[in-house]
Amino acid sequence: MIELKEVSKTYTQGIKNIPVLHNISISIKLGEFVSIMGPSGSGKSTLLNLIGGIDQPTSGEIFINSKPLHGIKDDELTLIRRKHVGYIFQFFNLLPILSAMENVGLPLLLEGIPLSKIKSKVETLLQKVGLEGRMEHRPEQLSGGEMQRVAIARSLITDPEVLLADEPTGNLDSRSSEEIFNMLKKLNAEGQTIIMVTHDSKAADCGTRLITIKDGFLASDKKLKEVRA
Amino acid sequence: MSILNFFRYISLRHIRFQKTQSIVVLLSICLGIATIVSITIVNRSVLYSYEDTFNKMLGRSSLQISGPETGFPENLVDKVLKVPGVEYAAPVIETQGILIGAKEHSIMILGVDVLQDNQIRDYSISGESADIPDPLLFLAKPGSILIPRSLAESEKIEIDQDVQIQTVYGIQKFRVRGLLNPEGPAKAVGGNIAVMDIFAAQMAFGKEARIDRIDIGLYRGTDIEEVQHHLEKTIPQGYKITTPAGRTKQVQKILSSMQSNIDLIGYISIIVGMYLIYNAVSITVVRRKKEIGILRALGATRSQIIKTFLGEHIIIATVASALGVALGILFAKAAVGAVGEIISSMYMRTSVSEIKIYWADIFSGFAAGILATLIASLIPAFSTANITPILAIRSVPYSEEKMLTARTVRMVSILLVFLSIVLLIFYKATKFFPVFHNKSIIFLSVTAILVGISLSTTDFLRWVLTFFQRFILPLFSGSPRLAGLNLQKNISRNAVAVAAVFYSIAIFVSSAGFMYSIKESILSYTDSVVRGDILVTSGHPLSVGSQNIPMPVELGKEIEKIPGVLSADPFRKTYIDYSGKRVVLLTVDVARRLEYSPFMFAQGTHDEMVKLLPHNDAAVVSEGFASHFNVVPGDTITLSTPQGPVPFHVVAIIVDYMSDVGSVLVDIDTYQRHWGDMLAETFSVRVKPGESINTVQEAIMKKFGANRKLFVLSGREFKEESRKLIDQTFIMHYAVNIISMIIACFGIIVALLASVLERTREIGILRSIGMLRSQVSRVVMLESVILGISGGVLGSLTGVLLGWISLDGFYRVDYGASIAYYIPYMYVIWAIIISAGLATLAGLYPAHRAAKTNIVEALNYE
Ligand SMILES: Nc1ncnc2c1ncn2[C@@H]1O[C@H](COP(=O)(O)OP(=O)(O)O)[C@@H](O)[C@H]1O
Ligand SMILES: [Mg+2]
Repeated sequence: MIELKEVSKTYTQGIKNIPVLHNISISIKLGEFVSIMGPSGSGKSTLLNLIGGIDQPTSGEIFINSKPLHGIKDDELTLIRRKHVGYIFQFFNLLPILSAMENVGLPLLLEGIPLSKIKSKVETLLQKVGLEGRMEHRPEQLSGGEMQRVAIARSLITDPEVLLADEPTGNLDSRSSEEIFNMLKKLNAEGQTIIMVTHDSKAADCGTRLITIKDGFLASDKKLKEVRA
Repeated sequence: MSILNFFRYISLRHIRFQKTQSIVVLLSICLGIATIVSITIVNRSVLYSYEDTFNKMLGRSSLQISGPETGFPENLVDKVLKVPGVEYAAPVIETQGILIGAKEHSIMILGVDVLQDNQIRDYSISGESADIPDPLLFLAKPGSILIPRSLAESEKIEIDQDVQIQTVYGIQKFRVRGLLNPEGPAKAVGGNIAVMDIFAAQMAFGKEARIDRIDIGLYRGTDIEEVQHHLEKTIPQGYKITTPAGRTKQVQKILSSMQSNIDLIGYISIIVGMYLIYNAVSITVVRRKKEIGILRALGATRSQIIKTFLGEHIIIATVASALGVALGILFAKAAVGAVGEIISSMYMRTSVSEIKIYWADIFSGFAAGILATLIASLIPAFSTANITPILAIRSVPYSEEKMLTARTVRMVSILLVFLSIVLLIFYKATKFFPVFHNKSIIFLSVTAILVGISLSTTDFLRWVLTFFQRFILPLFSGSPRLAGLNLQKNISRNAVAVAAVFYSIAIFVSSAGFMYSIKESILSYTDSVVRGDILVTSGHPLSVGSQNIPMPVELGKEIEKIPGVLSADPFRKTYIDYSGKRVVLLTVDVARRLEYSPFMFAQGTHDEMVKLLPHNDAAVVSEGFASHFNVVPGDTITLSTPQGPVPFHVVAIIVDYMSDVGSVLVDIDTYQRHWGDMLAETFSVRVKPGESINTVQEAIMKKFGANRKLFVLSGREFKEESRKLIDQTFIMHYAVNIISMIIACFGIIVALLASVLERTREIGILRSIGMLRSQVSRVVMLESVILGISGGVLGSLTGVLLGWISLDGFYRVDYGASIAYYIPYMYVIWAIIISAGLATLAGLYPAHRAAKTNIVEALNYE
């Protein structure tokens, strides 16, 4: 269960205040696949960053499974990111110095677990995203679609409560995009909670719920399908 | 786009937004320049103070005659007066005394001929007796002195007050008859001077019927050279006839040899500074690849880009050089007093209270900063020409910029080390290549090996990282792995940081190495030579500098009267001129010494020493003397005495470290016979078996201590003092070492900061998937420590080697081949600890920066 209560975000640039999100209240149940749409610059990424604990709200409250994300110490927030949230970015954000395997295992490596212990889990995940033949490849040796699949595998390594994806296909061709969406759909079918920002209304349809943001306000929120619990 | 627009929109903005990096580069150039500038200014100031002192002391005289330091017969004045053209010849005593007031204060004693000295030097007094035409007339009364008003004020001395001055015959009272206005001699040596009648000075300072100098004035229109020529024929050989300018030149020579070692270190710190600049520019190029690509795509020419890069760094260099010059002046101001003291104690008294700044020095320091920057930034700036628009847009943010291929670097590195070895072999093969047996060959060899090995830091770092990954890493898990990978990724840039540490540690260890070896050698020499139970001196045990007022030789007999004393034999150390060099003349009672104190021989044996005994004009020389002047046992050397040149038979070569030019040792009887000097600096006292050294020490102090300032040290205390003195001699080395360490620290900071900034996005990613701030900063710190230790280890190893080369090339020639090389293990361990410590310190800020990275911004960062 993810809860946002009256969440606002305002950036300050010098003496200028730039309000980006206004009093957003959303409640997302486990197993939902929420698509977030809205014009560019409307605050979608900002919202996702707040849910993912990458950024802090200016006011309001955010809970993941009743754990507050607001007003806590950076270290606590970091551990929530590490253990309870998986993140997929538009620009993949893989570490170029690490192999696919190492990239996938990274969150657990940060935990201090040696690679040998997590190897089988990493391999399973890479198989799941169809990259069993690319384990030792480094990001620059992979195509965009493959990189994003590595990123998906990485986001799943900690069995997170929620998977956040910010325009995961924004940098991919239509075929790769379809593969990614299918993969996310399949994950959701297995019970994974997903929140995805997208431009693509077709893609938004594969979710169970559609939220629209406009100028930092919650413009609409409608259910598309029943959630299979 | 014009270059001006480039500056305005690109360069200035980079300088502003990358404040930290700009500041670090700025500081490192600034420090390098400051070092050089301050050394130059201090040199100039010391030299100027000598020149100034000479001018004030020598007054209007056109020629001076000086002889042995111990003085020469005063009747030489009459001969000089007979030379045509000589108007007057004023005898002078110029020696040291200690003014005993609230504190002890070393002063110069100027003994002058009351009746004629005002022809040469200016003296004036103001106040109640200002109408007296010649203040010197005050000195006619026995026991009178004149002191500068400034000295009187600082020591709270009034007119007609008695002051105590330590003389050769103990502490004596003198009455202050007048306070001199600050002009002429009263302004020399910082006003630390007392003027007295020459006869009084002779009596008080053991120079009966002898004088130190004759100042000569000529009739108008007389040809100086002609008189000089005439004088040379009139007076015995071995005397020096100089003009005031000639004296300054001599000092310059002595100072220059003393400063060359320090200059060397200063220049190396500039090289390290250039390394840093090179590094900084390369980093900027790599980081701004995308920007350059976009600019190129928009139509910027290659030369515009290159000019922009050079221009930016010239702006920084201009500011840095200006600051460096200013800082150098400050450094010089702070150091000049201490340096003056050191040089005073080693050579002759001067007092440097203010610094002397020449525009030329400021300008050359400033130009050096800009030139060094320009040279260092040329290669990386030109490498921007290889950046194509496509390369930037394709965006391979992590690729390593290859300025020079690894193979070329490795080749150059090997060649340089090889060159160094060849030079050393040539140097060593003295017999076949005498041309190569000089210090500049060693200097080249040292530089070649330093630069050569510094070029191999990339390979060394790679090796260290492999070691780290194979052996250290398995002990940890998780984030430390990233440190190794990060270092490997940009290995050649990180190698530059390693090289910066390498330079300063290598210099630290090598100077520690030869200092330690010299110290150990001197101490073991002292151990074998100083066999007396007690040493009685009037000044610091090892110097004849300003603090040491010699004692009459007769005092030895008095000491022997003290119960418990077995014997007290004298030791005298003065300087004489030999082939234009200032060599040490040592005098001991050879017969006595042979009983209890072995000499250390380089050539010859104990038996030969007997030949030194009275009535034989024989001498032994030090290894340094032998090598400087090509002397072997059996040769005859001619020493100048007040009576003229006297041939001495060289019977053996001994180990002696009293002088870097060389020393000659003769028996005290021989010395007194030829030089007419009846003084001694030190008495070596043996205590009768079974008597307490302490009791005898106290008895000596009690008997003589009231009447004179005396050091009565046991053998052990004496050795302790020697140790301190040696440390003091090397104090400048330590200071410059610290500066090069600071510069190395900047090296690490620059490299780490660059790698942190460059990894902004990567750090953002890591933070977004759950890396803790503390983990981020630990990784950066670990990187820093790895870099520091790598530089430290390589630097220490090289330093040990360099220390040996330096000892051999720079010191063994001067002091003797018997100086053994001791590997400074303790310093090696310290060097590695220091480099790890400094690296930790240097890593703090970059680690802090890394931990503070804003995740959202970092993820958008490219
Ligand atoms: N660090 C920041 N400082 C100021 N304004 C920002 C910052 N980050 C984002 N914004 C502004 O917030 C608004 C929303 O941004 P974002 O959430 O990225 O929009 P999008 O919906 O396209 O993902 C934009 O107008 C953007 O300019
Ligand atoms: Mg967005």
